[in-house]
Amino acid sequence: MEKEKLAPRIAAMRQEILNARPEVCTERAVLATEAYREHEADQVVLKRAYMLKKILDNMSIYIEDNTLIVGNQATKNRAAPIFPEYAMDWIIREMDTFAGRNGDAFFISEADKQILRDIYPYWKGRTLQDKGYALFPPQAREIYDNGIIRNEGNITSGDAHLAVDYEGVLKYGLRHYRERVEKKLAEADLSDFETLKSSYFLRAMLIAFDAVENYAARFSALAKEMAETAEKGRKEELLEISRICAKVPMNPAESFYEAIQSVWFIHLILQIESNGHSLSFGRFDQYMLPYYRKGIEDDEKCMILLQNLWLKTLTINKIRSNGHSRYAAGSPMYQNITIGGVGTDGKSAINPLTWMTLRSIALTRLPQPNLTVRYFKGMDEDFMQECIRVIKLGFGMPAFNSDEIIIPALTGQGVTLEDARNYSAIGCVEVAVPGKWGYRCTGMSYLNFPKTLMIALNHGIDLMTGKRICSDVGHFTEMNSFEEVFQAWDRTARELIRQGIILDTCADLAVEQEVPDILCSALVDDCIERGKHLKEGGAHYDMVSQLQVGVANLGDSLAAIKKCVFEDKTITKQELWDALASDFAGEKGEAIRQQLLAAPKYGNDIDYVDELVVRGYDTYLDEITKYRNTRYGRGPIGGNFYAGTSSVASNVPQGAGTCATPDGRHRGEPLAEGSSPTHAVDVNGPTSVFKSVSKLRTDKIVGGVLLNQKMTPQILQKPENCQKLSLLIRTFFDDLKGFHVQYNVVSRDTLIDAQKHPEKHRDLIVRVAGYSAFFTILSTQTQNDIIARTEQQL
Amino acid sequence: MKAAVFNIQKFSLHDGSGIRTTIFFAGCNLRCRWCCNPDCFNMEEHDTYSLEELLAEALKDKVFYDKSGGGVTLSGGEIFFQFDFIQEFCRALREKGVNIAVETAGCVPNEKFVKLLELVDFVFIDLKHYDDKKHREATGVSNESILKNIVSLVNSNVDYCVRIPVIPEFNDALSDAENYAALFKKLGVKKFETLPFHQFGEKKYQNLGLQYFYQGVKALHDEDLTAYRKILGEK
Repeated sequence: MEKEKLAPRIAAMRQEILNARPEVCTERAVLATEAYREHEADQVVLKRAYMLKKILDNMSIYIEDNTLIVGNQATKNRAAPIFPEYAMDWIIREMDTFAGRNGDAFFISEADKQILRDIYPYWKGRTLQDKGYALFPPQAREIYDNGIIRNEGNITSGDAHLAVDYEGVLKYGLRHYRERVEKKLAEADLSDFETLKSSYFLRAMLIAFDAVENYAARFSALAKEMAETAEKGRKEELLEISRICAKVPMNPAESFYEAIQSVWFIHLILQIESNGHSLSFGRFDQYMLPYYRKGIEDDEKCMILLQNLWLKTLTINKIRSNGHSRYAAGSPMYQNITIGGVGTDGKSAINPLTWMTLRSIALTRLPQPNLTVRYFKGMDEDFMQECIRVIKLGFGMPAFNSDEIIIPALTGQGVTLEDARNYSAIGCVEVAVPGKWGYRCTGMSYLNFPKTLMIALNHGIDLMTGKRICSDVGHFTEMNSFEEVFQAWDRTARELIRQGIILDTCADLAVEQEVPDILCSALVDDCIERGKHLKEGGAHYDMVSQLQVGVANLGDSLAAIKKCVFEDKTITKQELWDALASDFAGEKGEAIRQQLLAAPKYGNDIDYVDELVVRGYDTYLDEITKYRNTRYGRGPIGGNFYAGTSSVASNVPQGAGTCATPDGRHRGEPLAEGSSPTHAVDVNGPTSVFKSVSKLRTDKIVGGVLLNQKMTPQILQKPENCQKLSLLIRTFFDDLKGFHVQYNVVSRDTLIDAQKHPEKHRDLIVRVAGYSAFFTILSTQTQNDIIARTEQQL
Repeated sequence: MKAAVFNIQKFSLHDGSGIRTTIFFAGCNLRCRWCCNPDCFNMEEHDTYSLEELLAEALKDKVFYDKSGGGVTLSGGEIFFQFDFIQEFCRALREKGVNIAVETAGCVPNEKFVKLLELVDFVFIDLKHYDDKKHREATGVSNESILKNIVSLVNSNVDYCVRIPVIPEFNDALSDAENYAALFKKLGVKKFETLPFHQFGEKKYQNLGLQYFYQGVKALHDEDLTAYRKILGEK
């Protein structure tokens, strides 16, 4: 596989995109501002639709030299558009530093800065962030500012985190959706209050469809115009592009090429409509299969079209604030594509297109899209070995999600068996049913577990800031048993989970009122039928997972306290507290730290500590399920919350704001990510990690149990070791009911060298958490974090 | 009864079929100059396990053994150094249906060796040198009992592999390969493998304050053994 070459046109395009300098593009910002000004009086849904139309009608469009698929997000590839309606303060505040950032740098011209300054006054008090802040109750605001719960992503960007109904788009074309809306509108009894209200949303969808139609038509015209002066060969290609753009996405696709162009238009436009990320492709190898089977294009052409599509996904970019960038390091868009798994009949759905999709992504080797393979018990070993060969290439893909646990977990939440079998990964590890699931199947409030514990042990006051965060449940030095310590955790965690829900609800309310997405809603069942957009409860299913960070640090800390202070009594309460408060200062502090480090650590298949991780997490599971989201009772099945452990890259910034912890971690060091063990403490190898992780109540953590494993490529050179890796993974999924695993296959030396000589490793891709990124654009701190992770001796 | 164990390695890939846990028992009656586990010589400074404790640890990965056709590998040191425990341990593992492999230098009286064969599924046995004098020189013991035990092993129902650690300037000449081949033919050895010399133990000697005989000697790699293996007829 390594030896297979990319077609010259793809190789050229790839290089061009990789060389493109990330920039800020202000075009969308200006057009959105104009549209908002022109439609001040309109209902927000109409305003949003007019804005989309304004942008799609007027934005710059271009067709790259080599491309067969057309459609661009901004004025240049990899330029990040500005979405002023979500947030403007941080942009104005930070734009002078965009270019000089350590990690995720963006160029911005002085002229563009001025453009943003000019529109800034209009947005004062009108952005999602302004409205969201105004909704936060005082304690929740205090907690938000402190950083123990972060949901900045929720009030500075759109939701996304879903896969729309691509199957329907390809089969019926957008015209069909338009007809459904028109019929609904014609039948609407506008004397009825609810119907009148929904009629604005219905009208908004019609505007959005027009906008899409015109956008495609603009490309059709551009291609035709370019064809006039193009050389032979390219001329025919451009005429074909022109023909296809006149047809899709409004009409049904009838060939693989048409289907790919149709999918790309929709996927792209959704990322112009909103700046939410984790907008995913769903089960690509399933809905594209009928068009592949038509055999209109040969395999070679299909391969080029697939690779062209992946290159297009990499042209999409997003700029986040400095603070938020640390949570989402490496400018990830989390555009997930899911392949494999079982079909709705429960049998293997792996098909020739599954293989080809895997291969095409392996050959382009890019950080986008984010590839997930759905594992299931009967998965063909040949396909498994093909996945391992791709893993061996070392760009962190594919990740595995397991049907064995996810399908029953979903049906346990009220999803029908057929829909559950049709799930896809969203973003990284999260799961949802494509085309039927509401926005943001994953919440973005990360609760910092070890920080919560430290606040619980300190009268509810944060050691780092000295500020009160929670109710006073006592002080560690006055607690007389481990049970008292645990109860303090339990009470404080519950209080903070509640505050997290309040923050999420405020964000949801603000998004519903300020930035509903029209096109996106139109493409999810049952928004059209109900006449409700996603945030109003239009989706068939709507459940949200809330996230945590530092799960392992919590368990390790509890175990160290229990063992060293209350059982072995080798450290007194006061000694431990002083050591933590001083960040293990002096010889004595270091001696205490060494004792704490020697206590049992999660990830080694030691029940003593693993049970404390489970017990600590149980508090979360129990509390989170008590709450309902803003769509509860408004239509969707669900409307509830559950847990998920996808911490993205938040473990680094969250660690930076967390004092020394009883697991022996120094102040400021990164926390453990996802459900993975703390870095470098999992010394018993991968079987023990799998055993420890499998003790979590995976069937209840429907939002995903993220596990990163790292290994060096040389280990996988022997074929028998690839088989052993397969058996290892199969045991984890079949017998231990694991949820997810992904492998970072790269040598430590390579990473260190890449840090020293970034110019030599521009194409080095690593897994950061649930996604891959270029290593060299990560901050030094994040790079160090990746290097520090234990290398499993596979 | 307690056992001194100096390492337990899970997901061990090189000592038998499938996914295995290798348990390294302390103590050895040989003193091979290239030994990569010099820390095993001392019996005192290691964790001790009761039979129940070690069994519990060994069974933790049973789910992986079952799936992969793996099991537990008992290694050392020299397992015969703690043979009473080993026998009990093997019986307990057998009862749980765990596949057992052992690694031994086989330098024990034949009666003892034969007892082991009743308890295990696979034996890796080393033959460090075909020549007794050379063998004594580098390991401190004669190869006489080892050769005898290899014959017992070859003629038993237990699956096996005779291993040659290929050591520079000791047994790495092509003429050595020819002599090994002739001896294997005589003994009826059909299954064997060569292990290229490596330097993994070097740091341990430093840490223990011991002199390392092979200080600075380059490790061998698979590609260095091509001709050697060809002569032996190793697949």
